[in-house]
Amino acid sequence: MNAIEIRNLSKSFRGMYAVDHLNMTVPQGAIYGFIGENGSGKSTTMKLICGHLVRDEGEVTLFDREHTDPGVRVRVGALIENAGCFPNSSVYQNLRMQTINLGIENYDEEIRRVLEIVRMEDNADLKFKSCSLGMKQRIGIAMALLGDPALLILDEPINGLDTDGMRIMREILLDITEKYGCTVLISSHILGELEKIATHYGIIRRGKMVMELSAEEMDSRAQVFVSLKTGDMKSALSALSEKYGTVREEDGYIRVYDVADPAEITAFLMERGQAVREIRKNKIGLEEYYIELMSKKEEE
Amino acid sequence: MNRELKFESPSLAERIRGMLGVDFYRLFHTPLFYIFLAIAAIIPAMVSAMTMMSGPDGTPTEPLYSNVWQIIAATEPLYVIRTIADYANMNMVFIFGGIMVSIFIGHDYKSGYVKQLFTTHAKKEDYMISKTIVSAFSMASMCISYLIGGTVGGMLSGYETSVNAGSLILAILGKMIMSLGWASLYTFLNVIFRRYFGLSIASSFFFGTGILIIGAAAIVEGLSLPASFLNIFLYGSSVNACLTSNIGTLVICLLVSLAWTLIYNALGSYILYKSDVY
Repeated sequence: MNAIEIRNLSKSFRGMYAVDHLNMTVPQGAIYGFIGENGSGKSTTMKLICGHLVRDEGEVTLFDREHTDPGVRVRVGALIENAGCFPNSSVYQNLRMQTINLGIENYDEEIRRVLEIVRMEDNADLKFKSCSLGMKQRIGIAMALLGDPALLILDEPINGLDTDGMRIMREILLDITEKYGCTVLISSHILGELEKIATHYGIIRRGKMVMELSAEEMDSRAQVFVSLKTGDMKSALSALSEKYGTVREEDGYIRVYDVADPAEITAFLMERGQAVREIRKNKIGLEEYYIELMSKKEEE
Repeated sequence: MNRELKFESPSLAERIRGMLGVDFYRLFHTPLFYIFLAIAAIIPAMVSAMTMMSGPDGTPTEPLYSNVWQIIAATEPLYVIRTIADYANMNMVFIFGGIMVSIFIGHDYKSGYVKQLFTTHAKKEDYMISKTIVSAFSMASMCISYLIGGTVGGMLSGYETSVNAGSLILAILGKMIMSLGWASLYTFLNVIFRRYFGLSIASSFFFGTGILIIGAAAIVEGLSLPASFLNIFLYGSSVNACLTSNIGTLVICLLVSLAWTLIYNALGSYILYKSDVY
């Protein structure tokens, strides 16, 4: 069973498609990293899933049920744009309201549970408006976690967080998928962070899904390269370019793509009297993969 | 880890209970409701005291009312007002109430909390029903607050107290029942102007003054229809609940209030279904 299945979903604003016949599949139990530039349609898609926006056409099913089914929607937790809390109410009061909304009876226990998950058990009495950005994001996650959600929809939850905040958020997300079996749809611009937790990716551009792939597929597609420094970068670059397919200079290093063995390159350069000062095997990350994919799409 | 998932659809009663619970929690845990209760009590007390004050030269002014209960309701149905006294009675609660409802619902949108509600409540009518009920409760409470403020203020100012108690009770009950219809109108207006906080307050104030009844009265007069025809409107039925009320008045209030509640709830739900909510 898929947690989210979207077929041919469209949404336009003043005649312009924000989401353009989008197809998307989020398997149950996945942490699905939803990637795209600003205005690519990530938030609009998430709002359409949550029923905040009215679709022009298409189908959205959650756990094989129509997304307008109250039974499934009550099991969706969302953090879209902001936590959606009343600023003058305390953290506890805001969470209390959501427990009432969801009809949770043992509310105090439940509030303590989610506050513990987001590492905010000592801040329950703080007014929401006095919380830092990182705390507000965590409260938003706590709100979304109330009532045993089967699906969490998180729009840019790590934006604006410091390194420590990002680490905490990462641990929280891994925790809730492992311990509670929750499916997470998460969008972020911080691809390096997303790479550490996502099991699946969806890349969206101008409202259309460009590619969907699992982390394993991503790993196999990610190009391997050897980066090196020599005494004479110019002649090394020219020699390597003649021998290997894709060679380029980036950030003061020569990158030789699709070569797995640094020793082979070292030997090749040594034969030509080039001293290798530094050499290591690398793999391009999600960010570079994404940038390359986007540039290819731009050229098309 | 994949787990076995069960999805049970909550009944309408369960869904409404959840949303109503949140609204009442918010109502009782924020100062807004108490401030408006105080306003509803202070305004009639001030009006009655000020209208019995002497002029700057010490000469007594003409009292605005002849009886303390006229602060609560007019002696007879006055669809089109002639003096401020015709206007300054419990019907003013529907103006304060409109502003309160606009602020209350506006904060749902301003804070973004409405996203939580619409994420977990797929049925949009839940929102309309819940807001209407909590707003009606607030306005009915403000009617009681107004009654206390007006009665105490009027008595302290020395107004006459003789009254047909039955008609007075029916008038008060009629106005409290009308709170439901007014609440549905304001909820509907706030759904229309949900992205424009100022406009929703302004529109609620405008409709709350009952100023549109002047146009309706002109039409009724032009068509030579009886003035009681104006009772089909919220404002008409609200002024019809006066110090000469009988059981029939109460029944009219109930029917008109319920009818408009159904109409505005259906229209509001339709708008929420057909348009982007946030």
